[in-house]
Amino acid sequence: MKRKILSALLCVAMTATMLAGCGNKADDSTNDANQETTDDAAGDDATAGDDAAEGDDAAAGDDAAAGGDKLTVWCWDPAFNIFSMEEAGKVYQADHPDFNVEVTETPWEDVQTKLTTAATSGDLSTLPDIILMQDNAFQKNVISYPDAFIDLTDSGIDFAQFGEAKTAYSVVEGKNYGVPFDNGAVIAAYRTDILEQAGMKIEDFTDITWDEYLEKGKTVLEKTGKPLLSCQAGESDVIMMMMQSCGASLFDDEGNPALVGNAALKKVMETYAALKEAGVLVEVNDWDQYISTMTTETVAGTINGCWIMASIKTAEDQSGKWAITNMPSLVGVDNATNYSNNGGSSWAITANCQNVELAKDFLKSTFAGSVELYENIISCGALATYLPAGDSDVYAKGDDFFGGDAVSAKIVEFAGKTPSNNTGVFYYEARDAVASAMQNIVGGASVDDELQLAQETIESQMQ
Amino acid sequence: MSQVKEPKKRKMSLERRHNLTGWAFLTPATLMIAVMSFWPMIQAFILSLQTGKANNLKFGDPLANYVRMFRDNVFMASLGNTFLYLIIQVPIMLILALILASMLNNKDLRCKGLFRTAIFLPCATSLVSYAIIFRSLFGVDGFINTVLINLGILNTGYNFLGHATSAKIVIIIALVWRWTGYNMVFYLSGLQNIEYSVYEAAKIDGASPMQTFFKITVPLLKPTILLTAIMSTNGTLQLFDESLNLTKGGPANATITMSHYIYNMSFKYVPTFGYAAAMSFLIFILVAILAFVQMKVGDKRD
Amino acid sequence: MTKAKIMKVLMYIVLTIVSLISVFPLYWMLISATNKSVDVSRGALLPGTALIDNWKSLLSQSPVGTAMINSFKYAIILTILALVICSLAGYGFEIYHDKGKDAVMSILLLGMMVPFVATMIPLFRMFSSAKLLNTTIAVIMPTISTPFLIMMFRQSARSFPHDIIEAARIDGLNEIQIFFRMFIPTMKSTYAAAMTITFMNAWNNYLWPKVILQKEETFTMPMLVANLTEGYVTDYGVLMLAVLLCSLPTVIIFFLLQKSFAEGITGAVK
Repeated sequence: MKRKILSALLCVAMTATMLAGCGNKADDSTNDANQETTDDAAGDDATAGDDAAEGDDAAAGDDAAAGGDKLTVWCWDPAFNIFSMEEAGKVYQADHPDFNVEVTETPWEDVQTKLTTAATSGDLSTLPDIILMQDNAFQKNVISYPDAFIDLTDSGIDFAQFGEAKTAYSVVEGKNYGVPFDNGAVIAAYRTDILEQAGMKIEDFTDITWDEYLEKGKTVLEKTGKPLLSCQAGESDVIMMMMQSCGASLFDDEGNPALVGNAALKKVMETYAALKEAGVLVEVNDWDQYISTMTTETVAGTINGCWIMASIKTAEDQSGKWAITNMPSLVGVDNATNYSNNGGSSWAITANCQNVELAKDFLKSTFAGSVELYENIISCGALATYLPAGDSDVYAKGDDFFGGDAVSAKIVEFAGKTPSNNTGVFYYEARDAVASAMQNIVGGASVDDELQLAQETIESQMQ
Repeated sequence: MSQVKEPKKRKMSLERRHNLTGWAFLTPATLMIAVMSFWPMIQAFILSLQTGKANNLKFGDPLANYVRMFRDNVFMASLGNTFLYLIIQVPIMLILALILASMLNNKDLRCKGLFRTAIFLPCATSLVSYAIIFRSLFGVDGFINTVLINLGILNTGYNFLGHATSAKIVIIIALVWRWTGYNMVFYLSGLQNIEYSVYEAAKIDGASPMQTFFKITVPLLKPTILLTAIMSTNGTLQLFDESLNLTKGGPANATITMSHYIYNMSFKYVPTFGYAAAMSFLIFILVAILAFVQMKVGDKRD
Repeated sequence: MTKAKIMKVLMYIVLTIVSLISVFPLYWMLISATNKSVDVSRGALLPGTALIDNWKSLLSQSPVGTAMINSFKYAIILTILALVICSLAGYGFEIYHDKGKDAVMSILLLGMMVPFVATMIPLFRMFSSAKLLNTTIAVIMPTISTPFLIMMFRQSARSFPHDIIEAARIDGLNEIQIFFRMFIPTMKSTYAAAMTITFMNAWNNYLWPKVILQKEETFTMPMLVANLTEGYVTDYGVLMLAVLLCSLPTVIIFFLLQKSFAEGITGAVK
């Protein structure tokens, strides 16, 4: 027994020595790692300075001084929002020569994961100065982590110059937390050549109701064999677009889920099921297949946020065969319109920003104040929600792909007519539950039962 | 270290010295696991006793989260799905891997390198591309449907990923496809520790390939089989990628896995870390029980 | 004899079919990388002419060189450390096994059973308070020592002949020398398998690096691929080219090492 105790003691001693050894070793390699990172950046002094600042929170003040007029940004699409941010940097540089933006390409899901991780662990120092946030996630993130974002209400930005529905996404408890960026106004795009085969024109699909859409869709299907619309099974984009088109929400004003007894939602579900039943709408299983239904001409049209145009345009051989108009409206529902929104994002300043005044002024003079910027970025398909930009000549130019139509101006007009609705903090929970319900309804379940079940699921997840 | 050890040396028996050497060998690895796995685990456990959203966590009824999951429809569905995958997919995959490995262990086989590399490929292929391929293969007008229609088995395309049962089957097929080669690697390397002369002796004795497989290969590979069984059980209970990328858990949560739901609860939905941690601990307990059973059955030194 | 021949033909047929099914996605990736995005979405199965355009467009939008170097750096350092530390432990657990060590092994096994999503945030907190974010050590540290790898070496040490150890002791080798001079060369096939698997896991690791790495110059290949799938428009040709580049290193390493799996117990034993 004594020997056992002895060997146990020895073990402890050894462990201790090893721990000490390990500790030193870890320190050494840390320095190496830092060294390597710096080397990799090819002697980029700014990066090295930043590293040092990150290593020491107390040096926060120095960072602003050392970094000069630099802002760091996370966003995700090189051809689109990264391009726009860099253009904005150039616009601001004209008056502030020392200024520059440093954009790190970060997919939205990663922005979300990093944001949650940083906010939860209480170390916001890993966040950049500005992040681009999906509009649908705005309420959720600001309410979950109010300390992680800067209130922009009194920043001097005139939020009235943006579409009302768009601004509403980033308003939390009456305060503005985001500067609206890209437009998610819903368009209905149709293949005019296919409609023609069925004896119809784009005008026949303008300002119509879903009932008319269904009837016309049946004719198109019968004559050409092509459905009017495709969408992803298990995603509720179409449902959410229909909901917003009449200003309806999945939540009541207190933020409680309101699925049961929601007349608009019930109508939406029934409309969707009828479209699916008739074969006017086909479901595919993922985004890639959704895109391919358009590129391979298996559908005669689509309804989505206006950003879908960029994907449609990848099929260059279909140029001139597409036209856009507004979406159908719901029948028998209050406040029904032909306008809605899907997707889109806004800029937010994080609490880690060391130079809040600079960041505010930057956003104010660019995304919230420069028509020139929006003229520069229209080439990448970034359509403004900044209303003064819509009057620019650039927006009135025709697009040959869409038969010479001035689509940009049209979309800005749509955006101005879109009703706002209540996203809800628990938007993603509700969205998934509704998508599940829809799949069951398409499979034959009753609408009322499924909505009841979906409501219970959301309530349970809200705990 | 040597200072501690030196004075005792003379008194120490050889056995004791070996014993201590053993401890020294395993200390670095053990310490790292303690710091990198157990410490976070303990913190996650403390978290699992708290309720609330985002950073507004508080201690209340310590079991609240553990009770909650059994009333959560989605979680119960994910639990059922995960176990279904475990029961069907793991045995198929391991048996297939074992058969392929013993085929490829044949000394007379040509082009072994090519076959081995080909079969290993699926797990090296990036998830992004394999998810796209599987979804398009099983799409309504995908390759599988085209074949079935041409064979006269189906009249119109069947939406495999749109129906609960077939979507589960597709996930199982995808898992077998992806991980069989991975497991085969362990069997192949395990087989090398068996002297080839054993096989030749069996052949001379007139043993059929079947007999050789069951009488020689399987018993001698037992340690490796145990390893892969524990690993696959663990991998399946923590399954995440396939559910997220192939089917997004759909249709109507018919294929969602526990880890996928935990991820949603942590990062997609309003963060509920206490509950997410509690669900993680259920997985932990389940894997631990299964691994314990497997160890009891398979980990005996002969 | 004929029966044996039929068996052999059958074996070739089975292996060929399995191989073809396994290789198909790689083939598809290759084909897609040479096609324009719209053709990929239209289901192209024959080589196209857009490889060079895709290549240029990939290079212009993503730091492929840096990401490759980073991925190799993380994966190689991690693989070497993991193999040494875990094989040492696996050997220790088996060769000097007793009740205490078996118990420790069982406890260690528990370490791999908690889903990573649950331990990620405590780990992040740990590294952030140690000021180690964005460093190589933070990327590799959590996965250097894994119960799985330790167990793999422990299981294979079980077939390591004990007479060799005894003989070596008589020859005057100390324990650490026995490990390095006898065990490592003998267990080549296990090391080769472990190396492939560890390298692959390190290379494909995504969730943790993406949380711990914030700076573009530290990004890895899987992160670069993920960047390409985000955004309103996905260029499938470019994406598949990136995916191909991301998959190749593991495939090449496997191809180079696979012979070692088959070499069996060599040298030291005979």
